[in-house]
Amino acid sequence: MPGVGMPHPRDRSGLTRRQLLQGAAGSALAIGGVGALAGCENTTTPIGGGGGVNSKFVEARPLGPGGLPLPRPDYAITWAITPDNKPIPDGRKPERGPLRVYNYADYIWPGLVKRFEKKYGTKVQIATYNSADEAIAKLAAGAVTFDVIIGLSGSNIVNLLAQQLLLPLNHSYLTNLEKNIWPELQDPFYDRGARYTVPYVVWSDGIGWRNDKLKEDVAAMDVPWDIFWHAQPYRGKVGLLDDKRDALSMPMQRDAMHAGTRPDLNTEDPVIVAKAGRDLEQLTSICNIKVTITDYQTLPEGKTWLHHSWSGDVVGAAIYYMPKGVKPDVLSYWAPDKNGVVQNDFLCIGRRTKSPALAHAFLDFLLDEKNAYDNFVQQNGYIPPQKQIDADLLIKQGLIPKTLTGAVTRPDQFAFNQELLQLSVRGERLWDDAWSKFKAG
Amino acid sequence: MTSRWTWRFLALPGVVWLSLFFIVAFYAVIAVAFGNQDSFSQPVPFWNPLDWNVGYVLDVLRDIWHGGQYLTVFLRTFAFVAIAMAVSLAIGYPVAYFAARHAHGKWGGIVLLALVLPFWINYLMRMLAWINLLSPDGWATRLLHSIGIERLFISLGLLSSRGGWLDGQESTVIFALVYGYVPFLILPLYASLDRIDQRHIEAARDLGASPFSGFLRVTLPLSRPGILAGAVLTALPMFGDYYTPDLVCAAPKCNMIGNQIDQLTRQGSEKVTGAVLTIALAVVLLVLMIYYLRATRRAGKEAAEA
Repeated sequence: MPGVGMPHPRDRSGLTRRQLLQGAAGSALAIGGVGALAGCENTTTPIGGGGGVNSKFVEARPLGPGGLPLPRPDYAITWAITPDNKPIPDGRKPERGPLRVYNYADYIWPGLVKRFEKKYGTKVQIATYNSADEAIAKLAAGAVTFDVIIGLSGSNIVNLLAQQLLLPLNHSYLTNLEKNIWPELQDPFYDRGARYTVPYVVWSDGIGWRNDKLKEDVAAMDVPWDIFWHAQPYRGKVGLLDDKRDALSMPMQRDAMHAGTRPDLNTEDPVIVAKAGRDLEQLTSICNIKVTITDYQTLPEGKTWLHHSWSGDVVGAAIYYMPKGVKPDVLSYWAPDKNGVVQNDFLCIGRRTKSPALAHAFLDFLLDEKNAYDNFVQQNGYIPPQKQIDADLLIKQGLIPKTLTGAVTRPDQFAFNQELLQLSVRGERLWDDAWSKFKAG
Repeated sequence: MTSRWTWRFLALPGVVWLSLFFIVAFYAVIAVAFGNQDSFSQPVPFWNPLDWNVGYVLDVLRDIWHGGQYLTVFLRTFAFVAIAMAVSLAIGYPVAYFAARHAHGKWGGIVLLALVLPFWINYLMRMLAWINLLSPDGWATRLLHSIGIERLFISLGLLSSRGGWLDGQESTVIFALVYGYVPFLILPLYASLDRIDQRHIEAARDLGASPFSGFLRVTLPLSRPGILAGAVLTALPMFGDYYTPDLVCAAPKCNMIGNQIDQLTRQGSEKVTGAVLTIALAVVLLVLMIYYLRATRRAGKEAAEA
């Protein structure tokens, strides 16, 4: 696994500062720019990193950005609990609050928040962020201080811990974790012992489609991902998730399905990442693919017929977004049983919380079966990893049609599929480069 | 003397405001573009020009020089803006001309009201409305079909299928840009046309010029400053626009430079590159502004000499 000290893919090989000063920097255009900047440095190698203060977290091999290891299913990490940041002691009474929650927009049911306020006689103040990057940057800069953070995932945990933003959890306050949550996620590889995080919702990456518009039975195809490369008849009605990791991992899964191999969806191999980018570029000419995350609206409305989707969006589409006169069973969803993408967002507590016991109470409240179910049904669409909630229950209750059975993520999928995890700085740039090229059209 | 100091004092808050919120902010972007990033992919600005790092700038320049992705997006942005400007002018000039020269009395008031009416509604809301209007069974789609525009666009290869205005079409982006920004072109044009001395046109007619010739030789040249002002007012926001292509197209072939900057700066590990592209776009716009200032100065000088 490459670390921060390794050469960056965009390091300027052979172009030294001295050469720069001599005006030997290639094109006339470049020289024009360089002339005015004589004496400047010439690098895209990130500064900092490589252990330092953050290495005190490390109990296993120190690798990866920020000096911390990158967790992988075959390389589980137990994050250390440091003397200056210990869990709160047992038996504390919840503080009066208010409880400050940092979350994506519309990612928790307001009725549930009111229920918590009533139960604990407190106020919950919710602020929203638009991306994990934005959330972590603001938390790290100290621009915002929160008691509870909702919606970040295994792809963010290294950043969160490297910047010392989380408070370790005291499980004596989290009785619902063991009682209700899938055993597979009680002790995840990215946070062994759930020392800093507990799961919130789960989903898979797959294909959502309108079975009344497409002539193919996508799920019955040998390699269902191929449908995107055969989508000429649906030109303009095809969508791809606007997320570099999810989108680029799709052609990687397709290649692996054809070859009968297991892909590494967190690869940092430049050849594989670049090929995935080129494969996506083909889709522009094949079906003029749109890059969006609005499939939960466009699929039910018929504005798209075939979409690379998060399972939660398709479930949400069936529950909340069907137009009048359109039945939810026109929606279908397929996700691979193995070698695909499954993800979970987690809940965590901010290190600088002023209400740590109340924050623990809130986490446990969200892990309660009824609360988790209501949150899913009333607002979220993304399924909580609760032992008692599965596809059979949701179909029986008439919440989703049978055609969306595959959109209800199961615990066993976490054993055979992969999560999209944090990459090294070098790897991140590789994926960003490929994504940027594709999006440039 | 007192008056001079009074005006200086009154101008002070505006100058401070501009300094803080434009010059400092813009320098911050420059410091990021010539900076680096940390191991968490967050930008680290280099405030001292002596420390500036040109690595990311060279990266972008090299990409443009070798015809890479940024050149593609810059050229597409230029094409979209140029076509949208031309169409806006073709639509806007007659409207401004009518409002300034022919709408008298209460009609003048009504036309003026109609010109400022679009400003009452947020740009984003107006664009969102078009998503419904241009959907396959939307009113606008049906209208464009019934008057033959849709067939014309399909035959010209500007639309892929019937009712497919939102199926990722470049023509829809240009149409939306025209719709969104044409009021910004009409208003300065109206002001410029309204200021033209009627006696100049009458003199041309007295000397035997036909109405068309009079328009070409007198009205059009005299309205040039208005055309330029309108063009600048519309071109600047069009160049930086990213939500219009996002809302009405969302396909990579519609992405403008604003979309690339948005994507790079919002998340991921290329925020410094996003800052470099912002500076590159600012340089392009600066060149256009210099041309505008020189052209208006020249026009002012010519008018004074006449």
